[in-house]
Amino acid sequence: MDALLRLLTLQDANTRTVLLGTGVLGVACGVIGSFAVLRRRALVGDAVSHAALPGVCAAYFIVGERSFWAFLVGALVFGVLASAFISFIWTATRVKEDAAVALAISGFFGLGIVMSRMIQNQPGGNRAGLDSFIFGKAASMTMSDAGLIGVVAAVVLLVVALLYKELKLLCFDRDFAASLGWPTLLLDLLLMALVCVCTVVGLPAVGVVLMVSLLVIPGVAARFWTERLEVMLLIAGALGGAAGLLGTTLSATVPAPESGLTRGWPTGPLITLVAAAFFVISMLLAPRRGVLADLIRRVSLRRRLQSQNALLAGDDRSPLPESPHPTDRPRGEAQP
Amino acid sequence: MTAFSRRTVAGLLIGLIAIALAWGCKDKGSPGPSSSGTLRVVATIGMIGDVARNIAGDRAQVTWLMGEGVDPHLYKASPGDVRLMADADVILYNGLHLEGRMADVIVKMARTKTVVRVTEAIDESQLREPPEFQGQYDPHVWFDVALWSRVAERIRDALIEADPDGRETYAANAEAYLTKLRELDEYARATIATIPENRRVMVTAHDAFGYFGRAYGLEVKGIQGISTDSEASLQDINALVDMLVQDRIPAVFVESSVSRKTIDALVEGCRARGHTVAVGGELFSDAMGPEGTPEGTYIGMVRHNVNTVTRALGGQVPPTTADTGASRENP
Amino acid sequence: MSTATPQPSASSAPKTGTPASPSAVEVHDVTVAYHRKPVLWDVDVQLPTAKLIAIIGPNGAGKSTLLKAILGLVPLASGRVEVFGKPLKEVRSRIGYVPQRETVDWDFPVDALDVVLMGRYGKLGWLRRPGKADRDAAMHSLEQVGMAPFAHRQISQLSGGQQQRVFLARALAQDADLYFMDEPFAGVDAATEQAIVEVLRRLRTAGKTVVAVHHDLQTAPEYFDHVVMLNMRLIAAGPMETTFTAKNLQSTYGGRLTILEETAEAIRRGGRER
Repeated sequence: MDALLRLLTLQDANTRTVLLGTGVLGVACGVIGSFAVLRRRALVGDAVSHAALPGVCAAYFIVGERSFWAFLVGALVFGVLASAFISFIWTATRVKEDAAVALAISGFFGLGIVMSRMIQNQPGGNRAGLDSFIFGKAASMTMSDAGLIGVVAAVVLLVVALLYKELKLLCFDRDFAASLGWPTLLLDLLLMALVCVCTVVGLPAVGVVLMVSLLVIPGVAARFWTERLEVMLLIAGALGGAAGLLGTTLSATVPAPESGLTRGWPTGPLITLVAAAFFVISMLLAPRRGVLADLIRRVSLRRRLQSQNALLAGDDRSPLPESPHPTDRPRGEAQP
Repeated sequence: MTAFSRRTVAGLLIGLIAIALAWGCKDKGSPGPSSSGTLRVVATIGMIGDVARNIAGDRAQVTWLMGEGVDPHLYKASPGDVRLMADADVILYNGLHLEGRMADVIVKMARTKTVVRVTEAIDESQLREPPEFQGQYDPHVWFDVALWSRVAERIRDALIEADPDGRETYAANAEAYLTKLRELDEYARATIATIPENRRVMVTAHDAFGYFGRAYGLEVKGIQGISTDSEASLQDINALVDMLVQDRIPAVFVESSVSRKTIDALVEGCRARGHTVAVGGELFSDAMGPEGTPEGTYIGMVRHNVNTVTRALGGQVPPTTADTGASRENP
Repeated sequence: MSTATPQPSASSAPKTGTPASPSAVEVHDVTVAYHRKPVLWDVDVQLPTAKLIAIIGPNGAGKSTLLKAILGLVPLASGRVEVFGKPLKEVRSRIGYVPQRETVDWDFPVDALDVVLMGRYGKLGWLRRPGKADRDAAMHSLEQVGMAPFAHRQISQLSGGQQQRVFLARALAQDADLYFMDEPFAGVDAATEQAIVEVLRRLRTAGKTVVAVHHDLQTAPEYFDHVVMLNMRLIAAGPMETTFTAKNLQSTYGGRLTILEETAEAIRRGGRER
């Protein structure tokens, strides 16, 4: 309990840093991830995360030592390569969308594993820096890391605000956008570049496997609550930020079994779990699109229908007739 | 937009993979044809290899698999390594699960060759079994020079067994080397003792210094467990910052094989509470320094660690001594 | 349904200084291929202004592709296209487009007004947001197709016919001189079909040109006054009366139609009565 109090009063600098960094990251990923989901590019974000591994290794080969900035650039370059690779496969061959993404993910990540082994076996090979870049070490976030996330998030949100209608139309109806003379390929690349940058900057915090969750889940959860894009983006950003904050809070306060090597839980996975919880809650409880709401609507409609039938049969206390062909949509449901 | 054929794409991919494979299978620079009749000894880690080299002198050719900065916990033998071992007369390894990913190779070699676990010379009662190692022994024995002297004796005996004609040479070399190790042991004890009592805490990002601390009177606190890729949790870091600030620990130490990020985060956390923790210098934990430098030998490595720790914690390092070479300043 | 009288818009007046072109669209020897398989082969045709033009042909004949080739949405393997005597990119502001309904995910979180507003994006250019004038124009377009009450309905809650009307309204909001429509009558109810025909006729009266891919041979002569008959190659093109013959239909559909002669005759007879 006093751990919670300490957190709420923001006494620990490290916790403050991680809260700030993951919160802002969550907001940016939530927003840009929503566009990626609407554009059916969600898994490309996953490919970008996985392509970071060979990117980081290549950077190490070139620079010869552990350097955070070199790793970042390497991850970004390979992330862009991966998404370009996927686009290329989509347009130039008949390979289906999901297969192309799977190809990229496994190919790039496999290449990365080979390269990281080579580094490990070399004299002077320092794998530890690589690993933390890939698997996430949110707890070790420094102020400069958080600052970088902040800058990237600001840029991403600015671009989204400026090019809002362009991105909206691109995601909704690409052909129409092209007919207006817009450079849809460039816009697509811009969108993917924003996803790439958010992903790469977030990898040290959340890690490869979980990064995609921060991109995808807030947008998908937000969709349950609204029919307007503007509102969806706001909710997605809020959910992403909340996941970051709540996940960090949990990892800083919830005690873990003492027998383990470390105290407390790893931050990255907790953020993902919180995001997933948001999704489940949204799926169940959202007023119009949620599962429960749907269930209640159907049950009440069926009851109304049955009571109508009983009335028609002349006696509202007679046993309700069995419908010979039970249908999913009850008759009499209002047509738009 | 031209449509690239699938063949072009496949060709590019295969080319890329071929390059990667070729690179990885590069030979590790084999020792070359051995001069007539010399023993070929292969060790896993440099700390064993260097000792063997000193004892063997000219009678044997000693090489080791893991060079500077390599993490033995994660190292996997390459095909070149396997060839080296296959050509060797004697294979020396640490055991106690240090070379975790080489276990099957070592077992295979043991069927046909002389394979010696050098730490068997140490009585089990002397081994550390700390809680964070979960029922296993701490393998980083080399930092207790007295214990490592036992290992040196075991190496000497292994060489004699493989090459009985060299018995006298090996015995003489070992005698000289053991003397140096004794001196090193005393040096370490004396130097560390100059650190003020209330500052005898060593904080590192890796639990490799358990024996070091026990032998020379330092409390050792690590941030992570034996594996170098386990993630430090936020609670760990907060607790450590607390400790560093409360005990006014002046320095933390970075190792050659571990991420600096965790250390940076700690330093920042302390600074926010008004306590400056310095990064006390790089220590060698699982591997020695670059070959050809003083830290590239076992004695040089231990000496470097002792000096670095002592200096950072406010002790007195005696001026350079002649026989083990100048000690290099490390920022 | 709204009965507001259509206003000929200012942009329909020919711009001063441009040479008058008798054709809205000129397609010169265009070939288009997907994955090295030809879809359109050596098509050469001129489309007149102020007419309702239908593009007809069997499935896979390249009808949509022809539209997309003119609009620059697919690359040309050879040939070129001119619109109002110029390359397309110079006259984009005079073009409207209604894509096929199924190319869009109708579960997208926008309402009908949002979609129609997108028709105004061409006029706004980069970075600017739609303002009150644009919203008014969008509402006006919705009224023209009878969808004003549905302005704030999420598009997935609309029926197929209503969605098609929203798409049409978006094109109307583009305030163009030349409209391209890809199967505007596909899968719509009778009331919507009538509404769309009304809109098309009003456009023609205002001097606009409409080029539409049409799938229904029965209604083609009734709704359109010019026809392009396509089966990868151009089979025939010209005024509906003279071009929509049994012989041309036979060449276009190649025996896939069964009751060809009587049908064509009956249709032509019926068409002449309107």
